[in-house]
Amino acid sequence: MKTQQFIESGILESYLLGMSTDEEQHQVNQMVMTHSEISEYLVRFEKNIQNYFLQSAVPPPADVREIVQFRSNKTDVTKKGNHTYYDMPKDNTVKKDNYLDIEVNDTYIKVHKWWRPAFVAVFILSKVFLITGLYYYFKAASQEDEIQKLRTEIASPKR
Amino acid sequence: MNELERVNDNSGQQVVTKNSVPLTTIEVYDQYGAMAYGIILQIVPQPHLAQEILVSVFSSPLLQSCNSYPFTFAVCVIKLARAKAVEAKRKLMTLAPFSGDNGHSIKENTPEVIFDLAFRQGYSPDEVAEKLKISKSEVLKAFHEFFKSTNA
Repeated sequence: MKTQQFIESGILESYLLGMSTDEEQHQVNQMVMTHSEISEYLVRFEKNIQNYFLQSAVPPPADVREIVQFRSNKTDVTKKGNHTYYDMPKDNTVKKDNYLDIEVNDTYIKVHKWWRPAFVAVFILSKVFLITGLYYYFKAASQEDEIQKLRTEIASPKR
Repeated sequence: MNELERVNDNSGQQVVTKNSVPLTTIEVYDQYGAMAYGIILQIVPQPHLAQEILVSVFSSPLLQSCNSYPFTFAVCVIKLARAKAVEAKRKLMTLAPFSGDNGHSIKENTPEVIFDLAFRQGYSPDEVAEKLKISKSEVLKAFHEFFKSTNA
């Protein structure tokens, strides 16, 4: 395949964006090794692709950086090897530098899935009690009126 | 400055090498965090989930392999961010497999549409070709055309 044809085939774009197959990757590697124009094109295309995606860049919240920093420090510590008691400081004090204070402004909370039916049950029960309470209240009130009416009826013939 | 440079050795053959010292995770984040977040948001528009994916990108052991990657860190981050976002999107859409139309009606097979399907929707070039009833080579050519038009 001619160099220009290979460039225009779009395999290089697919390769750089991680959408190529193993066979295509092998083909690209071979072409890069043997054709200087292709490696030059890749260098230019990398710049273009970076500029293209930088146009749609969105600054993430500051908290995310702190989490990334915390996790990367943690990974670095893990990479140092297995912990042994010989590594422990003799005075058993832990340097404050090893910890990163994180201020979390996240307004979301995670709750157990059973909270949903529990909340629904409490809500329904509260409505049932409310309706029952109102029913008996109005019933008692109407009975009170009835008793009052009967009392007046009983009292009136004596006059 | 691009990290790739051409080195001319005595044999006259040009070799592509990477001319940079290994970057730490936070240095990579400071340089490419916003770009990665923008890419993730294009694929997964929910900010809360996108932030979780962003953290997973920069906590990934694969990021360390970018130091030995033959191309720029930017490209490595782009690939990684897309891969993580597409993976998360696939998990979200397990109930609705990718083979479906997902309610989208495709009127024209423009390079923009093809790139959107492949990069943002997470379809492989073969799946895009099948979906649009075109050949895979046409799909790949559309990628080339797309970036040619964006840099014109």
